[in-house]
Formats: sequence, structure tokens, C-alpha cells
Amino acid sequence: MDRGIGSGGAFAWFFQRISGVFLLVALLAHFWVLHYVSGGDVTFQIVAQRLATPIWKTIDLAFLVLAIIHGFNGFIMVIHDYIHNHNLRLVLVSFIWIAGIVLGLLGTITIISFQAPAGGGL
Amino acid sequence: MNTVFKIYRFDPESGRNPRYQYFEIDVTKGQTVLDALIEIKAHKDGSLVFRRSCRSGICGSCAMQINGLNKLACETQVEDLKSKTVTIDPLPGFKPIKDLAVDMEPFYDKLRAVLPYLINPDSPPTDKERIQSPEEFKMIELATSCILCGGCTSSCPSFWADKAYLGPAALVKAYRYVFDTRDRGYSDRSGVVNNKHGLWRCHTIMNCNDACPKHIFPTEGISLLKRKVVEEKY
Repeated sequence: MDRGIGSGGAFAWFFQRISGVFLLVALLAHFWVLHYVSGGDVTFQIVAQRLATPIWKTIDLAFLVLAIIHGFNGFIMVIHDYIHNHNLRLVLVSFIWIAGIVLGLLGTITIISFQAPAGGGL
Repeated sequence: MNTVFKIYRFDPESGRNPRYQYFEIDVTKGQTVLDALIEIKAHKDGSLVFRRSCRSGICGSCAMQINGLNKLACETQVEDLKSKTVTIDPLPGFKPIKDLAVDMEPFYDKLRAVLPYLINPDSPPTDKERIQSPEEFKMIELATSCILCGGCTSSCPSFWADKAYLGPAALVKAYRYVFDTRDRGYSDRSGVVNNKHGLWRCHTIMNCNDACPKHIFPTEGISLLKRKVVEEKY
């Protein structure tokens, strides 16, 4: 019986667990910082001020990259679950990769280039 | 107690679509679903097809879907179902051959794929068996009690979606040998279980745990096998 020995799936599965733990911690931290540290006052000024600092850029960049890979890795797993036609699977997985890379790049550009507006009572 | 049995009927030679047929029989206390099927076949309709052998929950032949859950007909007492109508279907996910009998051959192919036997190139000691401590055996004790009824694999939505998926029964068998301290066949089996149609199709839905008549908890074995593969690789 052909079991299609090859690409396995161990890394994708393992990565999903590790990134899942990070995302859970990051999400709780994000929630806490956004709604409690700043006294529950979620305004553009407060968020922009935080997002303009290198440390928060680094955290948000890690958050973005891991969330995108975690999410799109999940999509690929769903494709492997349900799509058994090799060509269709190739098309869909390629689309997922391209969409993930494009979204990741857009988010990265947004985070890195973000500057807090000058003045405005920041 | 009069009970109606709503039974899936399918005869490929008749060319008719599958249908349900209803039989009403008087069920006595302690009577199992298998007893009822045998009575129906003996007194109501001799053409009814189902598999059975030991009637003691050890051969695994009479696994079928009873009121929507995979069970052994011989271990299920009609009274315990607490329903006036008992619906009986063949195991889902497998190809029906006739009535309640399904084609188990693909299931056995997957079992053979995981090399379900002891692999150890070293010769055993000449004066005794290969020794295993009670603690070491405890790791695999539940998994050794599998009767290959197919109830777990047939209840698994991942298997319904991917018929090439090894399924819980074959993976539990792989677990049973990989975690057997006397076995040295991990490298022979890793390519089969660490595979697109192997371990990673299990998403811990846990239907298999409910379906197993021997309470093996296949999901736990599969999870330990996943961890083992990751530890070996990284």
C-alpha cells in the first residue's frame, strides 16, 4: 500500500503548538496592556505612542509573523485534510503561501514604518 | 418489551438503493442487540446479513452503528438503549458489502502498513523470554487489548475526510509496538506514521475514545506517538 512517504508533517504540527503557546501569552498580554495598563482608555494617541517604540515594534512584529504563520499553517492542514486531488492541493497551498507572504509583508511595512504623529498632545 | 429495530438494508445485486426495514420483536431483559439480530434473521427475514462470531466482545466482528454510536452488538443490551426504536447501521466510513457487513480490507491494509509485529534483530536470550517489567508493560497494556473491530477508525471524522488516513486503530497498533521496550522497529514504522496520511491527520476529535469497546483511548496513544516523532526529529 502506497503511504506516500515523504514530507511528513511533524514540523508543521510542532510549530503549531509552540506558536499557539506564544500567541496565547501574547494575546493575553496585548489585552492586558491595551485595556488595563493604560487605564482602559483606548485612544489613537495612546496606541500610536506605544506602537512607535522599538520594543513594541519588535513585539508586534513577532505577534504578526507568528499569527500569520500559525493561521495559514492551519489552513494548509485543513487543505491536507479535505483536498486529495494533487493539482488542486498544489494550487490552494500555493495560494495560501502567497497570501500569507503578501499579508506578512504589508503588516511588516506598516509596523516598521509607523511613526507617531508629531505633537497632538502625545 | 416490544421494540422496533430499524435496520439498514442494502443488496448490491438487487440494484435498489439502500433502505431501512423495520422489525418489531419482543425483547426480554438482558437480551443484546446481537441476540435481537439473530432472532430477526431466524424468524423474520433470513436474508439479513451481519457479522458475528464469539458473542462475547472479544472477536470484534459485530461492530456496527447502534442509535448513532459505534458499538459491539454483542455487548449492547437493548434495555440499556432506553429507546422504543433501535436504529442499526453498518460502520460508517467503510464500503457496505451487504446490509450490515462492510468491506474491512482497507482497514486491514492500514494495519499491515504499520508492521504490527515485534521487530528486533537481536536474538532473544536462549534460556528465557525477552523480559519486560510490569511498569514497562503498563505503557502498552491497554493498546494490546485492541480487538480490531474497526469501531474507532469508523467513528473518526478525519478518516471520513481522508480515506487514506491510517486511522486510530492502525496508529494504536503502531503505538503498541513503538512503546514496547522489546521492540527495535521504530525506524521502520516512522515513515508510515510520520506521514500526510498518518499521525498529523488526527486532530484529537476523540470520537474514537467513545467508540472503543475496550476503552483503549486511542487519542492518548496517538498523542504520545506524535510527541515521540517530534522528539526523535528535533
